[in-house]
Formats: sequence, C-alpha cells, structure tokens
Amino acid sequence: MSVCWFQSRYDKEGPGGTGKDYINCPMNRDEYNAFIDALIAGEKTDFKEWEASTPYFDGCLPIEVMAERGPETLRHGPMKPRGLTNAHKPDEKAYAVVQLRQDNALGTLYNMVGFQTKLRHAEQTRIFRTIPGLRNAEFARLGGLHRNTFLNSPRLLDPLMRLRSMPRLRFAGQITGVEGYVESAAMGMLAGRFAAAERLGQTPQMPPRTTAMGALLAHITGEANAETFQPMNVNFGLFPPVEVPPGPDGRKARGRDKVPARKRAYTARALRDMDQWLSPGSKAAE
Amino acid sequence: MNEKLKPVHVIGAGLAGSEAAWALANAGVPVILHEMRPVVKTDAHHTADFAELVCSNSFRSDDSETSAVGVLHEEMRRMGSIVMRAAMGAQVPAGGALAVDRDGFSAEVTRALTSHPLITIELGEVSGIPPEDWDSVIVATGPLTSDALARAIRRPHGRGRTRLFRRHRAHHLSRNRGYVGLLVPVAL
Repeated sequence: MSVCWFQSRYDKEGPGGTGKDYINCPMNRDEYNAFIDALIAGEKTDFKEWEASTPYFDGCLPIEVMAERGPETLRHGPMKPRGLTNAHKPDEKAYAVVQLRQDNALGTLYNMVGFQTKLRHAEQTRIFRTIPGLRNAEFARLGGLHRNTFLNSPRLLDPLMRLRSMPRLRFAGQITGVEGYVESAAMGMLAGRFAAAERLGQTPQMPPRTTAMGALLAHITGEANAETFQPMNVNFGLFPPVEVPPGPDGRKARGRDKVPARKRAYTARALRDMDQWLSPGSKAAE
Repeated sequence: MNEKLKPVHVIGAGLAGSEAAWALANAGVPVILHEMRPVVKTDAHHTADFAELVCSNSFRSDDSETSAVGVLHEEMRRMGSIVMRAAMGAQVPAGGALAVDRDGFSAEVTRALTSHPLITIELGEVSGIPPEDWDSVIVATGPLTSDALARAIRRPHGRGRTRLFRRHRAHHLSRNRGYVGLLVPVAL
C-alpha cells in the first residue's frame, strides 16, 4: 500500500461504508498511455460464432474496446480520477485511477471496478500487473465474455409479462430485456406476484407507472420501440414527468440545484405511490 | 387451501427466478423451482447456489433519494424482496453502493428458498417448451438461455401468422454480449 490508498470517491460514506472503502491505484500520464497501448495490443480471446452478429451493450463495454475508441475514453469512464486525492502525494493529481472494490466479507478479495474484458487470461495477468500497486497481485478469477440472449419483449409479451402467443408462459429477468442484477430481480418479483394473483383467482394489479417497478415494466412490455429494443437499466428517463415542488424556502430550485430537486421529486412520488399500491386498503391488495 | 392449488413452475433460480418463487410462496402458492445447476454447468457460473452473482458484486447505488436504482432497491424492500434482504445481510463496504460478499449472499438466498415449505426444488434442465400440463410457468432462464428453449419461444407463432412471423423473425430474439468473471486481485 505504498502506492495505493483507501478512499471512496468524494469520500462518500453511504449506507454501509466509511468513506474509505475503495482501494485506488493511481497512474500518471505515461503509465496511463502505456496501459492503453497494452490493452489495444493485447491478445483477445477467439471470436466465438455467436459474436459475429452480436453488438456490444454500450453501458458495459470491455476495457480494450473502450481503449480502441480513443485514448481518453477510459480516463473519462471507469478510470476517472475525479473525487480522489492521493494519500501519499496529496498535491499530485492522478491522471487516471483504477478502483478496487471489496468483494468478500473478510476483505481478502477485491474486484476491479468497471473492468470487463475479453483479453486472453495470460494477457490479463500480464497487463493488469503493470497497474501501479498490482505488480505482485494474484488473480483469483479472470474476466470473460458470455452470450446475452433477450426477447423482443415489447412485441412478444403482454402487460402482465405473458408470452402473447402462449400465455401460460410468463417471462422474468434478464431475458426480458432489462439490464442489471437489481432490474432482473425486480422483474422476477412482479412475475411472481402476477402469477400468484392469477393462481389465487384474483386480478393481478400492475404497479403504478410512477414507481421504478412500474416504469421498467411499462418499458419492456410495450413502451420501448420494438425495432430498436436493447436491454435497459432503470433510469429517470423511464419515469413520467414530475412536478418539482418548491423548496423549504418556498422558492423553485434553480441552477445546479434543479437536477437533484427533480430526482427527489421522482423518488418521493415513486415511494409514495408504491406504499399506496402495497397498502392493505388499496385495490392491489384485495 | 394450499393443497388444492396447482403449483406454479419457475424455471431458473437466478436473481429473477429466486424472487419469483419467493413472491409466489409468500402469497401462499406452491412453487416448483427448476434449476439446472449443478446437473448442467455453464461457462459463467462457479457454484450450485441460487442467485449466483457472475460479474460484479455490486447492486449499485443504494441512494433512494436521488438514484433510480436506489429507489428501485427501496421499492423492492417494501415489497418483501429476498434479494435485498440477503444483500443487506452480506453487505461489504462500498461507499454509496450496495455491494455484497457474493458467497454469503447466494448462500442466504439458497437457504431461504430451500427451507420454505411451499417451495420444491427440482434439479435438472427444462429444455424446449415446458410440458402442456404446466399451466403457469415463469421462465427466468437468464442471458444464457439454451438454444432449445430459445427456439421453442419462436415456434409457437406457427401457422396462420407465418408472414408476420417471418417478417419480424429477426427481431424476436436478440443477443448482445454480457460479461462474467471479473477480476479479483488479492494480496496487494
């Protein structure tokens, strides 16, 4: 740890953190440029048959593909140095930073944040050991690539997630075209609720459109453009427009306060409507 | 009452299938949860546990005031999510994000599901279209859905709609690339 230091970005403590949760490996300009060159030159795994007609998901690119898009790409992506101060050299701003996030309760395993890759395994070990602080690192598991099959849900599924052509089949999770662990689990919860209501002879109740649940469901079951459908993370763009209430001083948020105020309005509305949906007196719970 | 209800079949005990089975069982509906691991292995998975995290160990931001995924976390908690419950129990420090010890997390989901009286686990692959007498099925087979099932999803469009089907065929099932395995350096 003579090179790296513990710090969360902007010292953010969060719900389960201390403000010093990530290990940061700094790079200067030369180290960064050499690293980018190594990524581009590194040997990639063989192109599998299914990859030929398969696009990348833009939110989750391998680092070597990002490096190929331009030398600055990674420095403005997973390797951005913002919000971090080198504990060993407080006056020297790192040109780029590789962050490591604790991966097990013991704190003996760390993973490299945002580092998806399809480099050959031997190349991964070789290149990643050039990262300052990782010269003697051992790698418990290396990166790889898998197929990601998903349905054209807006076309194939009804609003209750049933296959239109065979309604006894309901779909949930990543195959429905949501992206991310949380989103997949969320769609599983809805599919389970809908199937349970049906089995119990009740009418399944859709979550309000203003909740994150409802927003994701509406997106995959019809609102997304079926022609261009690609997996989607939850985001505020899926929520219906919201009226931003005035702040405590009775005035509307202005300037840089506007965006956080709008986000708070989205989330407050979502949680209020979720509670309403779940409350015993509501139609949903009958 | 439960004895009279036919079970709902859930295929796949990943994050979505685990939540679906949990929601059904807690609503009083019997569930048969089908999981092909460890009988059939995949390139991405390393264990036979349910809800195995194959890539990052992070569920992203837990800020329910200004983050969309954070508010989704909170909605899931209020709906009784097993994934959120297990995640909180296996949390590791990660600033504003909710990150977990992946083994502890999956072990807890597996324990909760296998010990639920209304959930029956069946190990083995369900290939192709599920049998006719499964009148309610949740397919949560994930990004590695087998080709047999993928083809089966396309087939039922069948007769009478052939032209429409052909024209849109390319759009019914797509793929992009997912990731697995991440990098875990130890002993810095």
